[in-house]
Amino acid sequence: MIDLQGVRKAFGKVDALRGVTFSVPDGHITGLLGPNGAGKTTALRIVYGVLRPDAGRAAVDGIDLATSRLEAQRRLGVLPHAQGLYARLTAREHILYFGEMHGLAGAALRRRAAELVDLLGMADFADRRTEGFSQGQKVKVALARALVHAPRNVVLDEPTNGLDVAATRQVRALLLQLRTAGHCILFSSHVMQEVSALCDRVVVIARGQVVAEGTPDDLRRQTGREGLEDAFVAAIGSEEGLA
Amino acid sequence: MSWARSFWVVFAKEVREGVRDRRSLVAALFFPFLGPALLAVMLYLVSQSSRRADELGVDIPVAGREFAPNLVAFLEQGARVVAAPPDPEEAVRRGDLEVVVVIPPEFGEAFRTGRPAPVRIITDESRQQARPSAAAAERLLAAWSRQTGAQRLVLRGVHPAVFEPLALERVDVSTPASRAAALLATIPFFLVMALFTGGMPVAIDVTAGERERQSLEPLFAAPLRRSALVLSKIAGAAVFSSLALVETAIGFGLVPLALPATRIGFSMHLDPRMLARILALCVPMVLLASALMVMLAAKARNFRAAQTTLSLLMLVPALPGMALGLLAARPPASLFAVPFLGEQMVITHLLRAEEVTFLQVGLCSAATLLAAALVVAFTVRAFERGQPLFDA
Repeated sequence: MIDLQGVRKAFGKVDALRGVTFSVPDGHITGLLGPNGAGKTTALRIVYGVLRPDAGRAAVDGIDLATSRLEAQRRLGVLPHAQGLYARLTAREHILYFGEMHGLAGAALRRRAAELVDLLGMADFADRRTEGFSQGQKVKVALARALVHAPRNVVLDEPTNGLDVAATRQVRALLLQLRTAGHCILFSSHVMQEVSALCDRVVVIARGQVVAEGTPDDLRRQTGREGLEDAFVAAIGSEEGLA
Repeated sequence: MSWARSFWVVFAKEVREGVRDRRSLVAALFFPFLGPALLAVMLYLVSQSSRRADELGVDIPVAGREFAPNLVAFLEQGARVVAAPPDPEEAVRRGDLEVVVVIPPEFGEAFRTGRPAPVRIITDESRQQARPSAAAAERLLAAWSRQTGAQRLVLRGVHPAVFEPLALERVDVSTPASRAAALLATIPFFLVMALFTGGMPVAIDVTAGERERQSLEPLFAAPLRRSALVLSKIAGAAVFSSLALVETAIGFGLVPLALPATRIGFSMHLDPRMLARILALCVPMVLLASALMVMLAAKARNFRAAQTTLSLLMLVPALPGMALGLLAARPPASLFAVPFLGEQMVITHLLRAEEVTFLQVGLCSAATLLAAALVVAFTVRAFERGQPLFDA
């Protein structure tokens, strides 16, 4: 479970988040939807503890990030906006490295890494250095790295960005699998198709504020629009920055 | 997970990546031999030039020796007189000869009639290495002139001492050993350079490099204490810095073996015990240098900016040390408390087999360790604010 309460964050004179409150329940896929520059990445960075809010509170499974950052981060799997891989490490070494940082070791860690290599279909390139990997391969490495410690909560920043159809479908299948297993999944996107294909719940964010929240049906009702796309546009107040 | 374990996990990965990086390896493995190689070459050149002057004597080419057989006989007592080429000025200008003494045909006539007899010394003053030969020729000619003058005075019933109110005597205390010892002042300079250049590629890679490749964000999202993260990166740079340092020290240790004392005229105190003492003195410097490089590279805008900053950084501590080493004057004690400078002064003392006090060693080590601790604390605070991930 992930909670944000009245979170504010400014970068210089720019107010990125202006009092954001929403919560992400277990066993659901929650989509954070908004145009580019709405504050999605900033909100996620506060959730996974690399940014500190100026005001308000962020918590994972009820653990406050401000007071117990490490404890909260242990319960999180994170796929940041950029994959950020190490060119001189192999795919498997990435998984092992992050497993070790989460306190795993030895045979258990190696077994878990092999499991993820299977699950994500990485056998062909698991033991190659990541230099020159395709976008799809990079995302898979980053995903495996994020899931190595079997986190209860998974946060993904635009996970299907730049992926081809096959890879996108694989990622979606994985997210649905995690939901079935009872995980709490929060992912951001500016692609409406993605959100409507996957999400049980949607949080719409625009100009640093939550403008709508609920199931896709709730959204349609709230905005009085038939199509989901129209509902989003109505909630955001503009078509700018959506795809 | 414990602090020590997170430190170790990140540290091990930084070292592994560094080993796989050709640039880091070259910096740590090959550059360090540059200093010792340069020192060996310089020592060899110094020993060559002093050998020529001191052991073999000076060759003085003389043109027109048939016009002044007495003078030539005198010259032969202090040097080897050899035949001059037909065009002495051209030979000196080209650098074939360092000096030529030309005795013109009118020498005999002038000498017999008691007028000052002309002798020309042809040399190229702009060539440093020609000076000892020219000076030797001049000295011998002046001695002959004085001796002959004295004989003439005696013939005329005047005591020669009347004509020499001064008994001038020049004592040159410089020896091949002392001239070569001045070169030893370059050793601490190269040691400091080595510990910076060795760690530099890794220090940049784990900070500015990681930011550029965007791999810092997942790292910051992992449950790690920022202090463990900072120290593991500093330690990673320190490994490569130490590697370069140890190699440089070993390289200097090999110099006396390649150039035995009998060749260069003095023995260098660079046995393994001395090297171990020097390396122990360098430990605080390795920590401070690695911490400084990580701090500055983390602040740099990008990889290239970090390279520029760190290249300049490395000259700051290295140059004053070398300047001081070349100065003969005794530095004030307070300078020993200046990080890098203090260590370089202590190392220079050790190399000159001069006494080093416990206070001097304690002062420079404590000052450097304190500076390193401050830099680490400052960098940890910056990382806690989100730097180098964001420009916080």
